[in-house]
Amino acid sequence: MNRSRTLAVLAALVAAALPAALSDFWIFIAIEVIAFALYAVSFNVLLGYGGMLSFGHAAFFGVGAYAGALMVRKSGFAPEAAFALAPLAAMAAAAAVAAVVGFFSVRRSGIYFGMLTFAFQMLLYTIALKATGLTGGDDGITGLKPPGALARPAVYYVFALATVGPALYVLYRLVNSPFGITLRALKANPRRVQYVGVDVRSHQLAAFVVSGAFAGLAGAVFALSSGNVFPAWLNWTASATPIVMAVLGGVSSFLGPALGAAVYVVLEVVISGRTEYWPLVMGVIILALVLLMPAGLTGLWRRRGAP
Amino acid sequence: MRADMTPILHVRGLARRFGGLQALGGVDLEVARGEFRAIIGPNGAGKSTFFNTITGLIRPDAGSVTFAGRDVTGMAPDDLVRAGMGRTFQITSVFADLSAQENVQVALLAHARQSWRMWARAAALHAERAAELLALVGLAGSEARHAGTLAHGDQKRLELAIALAGEPTLLLLDEPTAGMAAQERIESISLVHRVARALGVSCVFTEHDMAVVFAVATRITVLHQGRVLAEGTPAEVRANPQVQQVYLGESVIAEGVHA
Repeated sequence: MNRSRTLAVLAALVAAALPAALSDFWIFIAIEVIAFALYAVSFNVLLGYGGMLSFGHAAFFGVGAYAGALMVRKSGFAPEAAFALAPLAAMAAAAAVAAVVGFFSVRRSGIYFGMLTFAFQMLLYTIALKATGLTGGDDGITGLKPPGALARPAVYYVFALATVGPALYVLYRLVNSPFGITLRALKANPRRVQYVGVDVRSHQLAAFVVSGAFAGLAGAVFALSSGNVFPAWLNWTASATPIVMAVLGGVSSFLGPALGAAVYVVLEVVISGRTEYWPLVMGVIILALVLLMPAGLTGLWRRRGAP
Repeated sequence: MRADMTPILHVRGLARRFGGLQALGGVDLEVARGEFRAIIGPNGAGKSTFFNTITGLIRPDAGSVTFAGRDVTGMAPDDLVRAGMGRTFQITSVFADLSAQENVQVALLAHARQSWRMWARAAALHAERAAELLALVGLAGSEARHAGTLAHGDQKRLELAIALAGEPTLLLLDEPTAGMAAQERIESISLVHRVARALGVSCVFTEHDMAVVFAVATRITVLHQGRVLAEGTPAEVRANPQVQQVYLGESVIAEGVHA
């Protein structure tokens, strides 16, 4: 049985049993883990499979969060319908923005690609900050509440799982598909892959759009759980989060970034509850983890599991 | 079966300048179908630039490239490959992180225009054909090996299998024996020769080792300072005084296969 599948089955079992064992506070944290797991995995489709390091992925998470929030707050649909449409709106909006950002960004590679994604993110951050009528400006959008029973954490948890689970499966199929193997080839040798008849940019752009769309979905799942969206979610510092999660968990494993997300979120909660210097402690812990496990947490597992 | 008389490759007046250096000063080349053409010349003669200009990596300043009767001047690499032109690189160029099998599968998927499929399982597609191609180049049993861990000679073989996956009608090989020991070089070019013959693929290759050239080339083109200095059968080229002049001190030309 391969590593990813073992991990997936294990994660699903734990995930299903969790709400029974946890307080509302920890269920809320579990929802955050679920959302950020999707965020980190979607980010890693670019980094781990396509070899593209985006410095601006928070833009798509943020756009998805705003799109979901606006659907619930301003669409005028009945609350249930608006809520049901929110994830779709988030994906569509994030995909559309990713198509524009990606169109320009994939024209460059390496650090220049990263810089372009960074620049677009700052642009979107400024829009979120200044388009007060739509986004609420600096105050963000607050007081979002899922309709009916979904307002209860345990129920929302099931909704989050039922949304993110299939999304992860779609991405899993994608990375193992002809498109996925082509992405890996492109990462390994972008010049050679042209000479098997692959148009590099269009494949990179497609990966960018898919990755952005699912990051957007993650943003909406998280926003509707936390009840608010702030422009800071699109700020450049926020783009470090999926990078750290992916590297922490391991970029060469499909679910590695999801594990990284879980470790990151839980560490942050535990440590920030104990000391106001939590970013310092987090920094030291992440530094130690990365130095001791250069291939990430799943890399450790693989090394031990290897024949 | 009637032989197609259109040249597989027809290059006219190909020129390219880099700053003050005229790397290609108007090169003409005509390669008939079924040929095994060697392009030789001292270092800096323009062989690599010539190859890279034909295969779309470098845009020519002037001149044209006609491939199987179709003008392909300045065409992008992926379009050229889909039109049936394959190439290998002087510095071995495989997908190091992928298995040997996956290396060939990527090429087969692209050739079948399936690289956009996002739901099917890639591992199950073209697996048999990939194994066949690996066996053809002598890599049976290495399917699951990561390409980056293969020996240098085996990576060259793998690169050949990747190029063949696109069912090319013309294969351009840039120094196919670079970095190999003398004995291995002859074996390697013989493999290319045998496979190309079997599949009916025309070949153009650049080469430094004259023993390799004289072992397999049907015709030889000599480049010197970005121009064609001489062209002809191996015997004609060897007897050409101008060629001997350029290769002064490199007695290999005169000695030919004994080198």
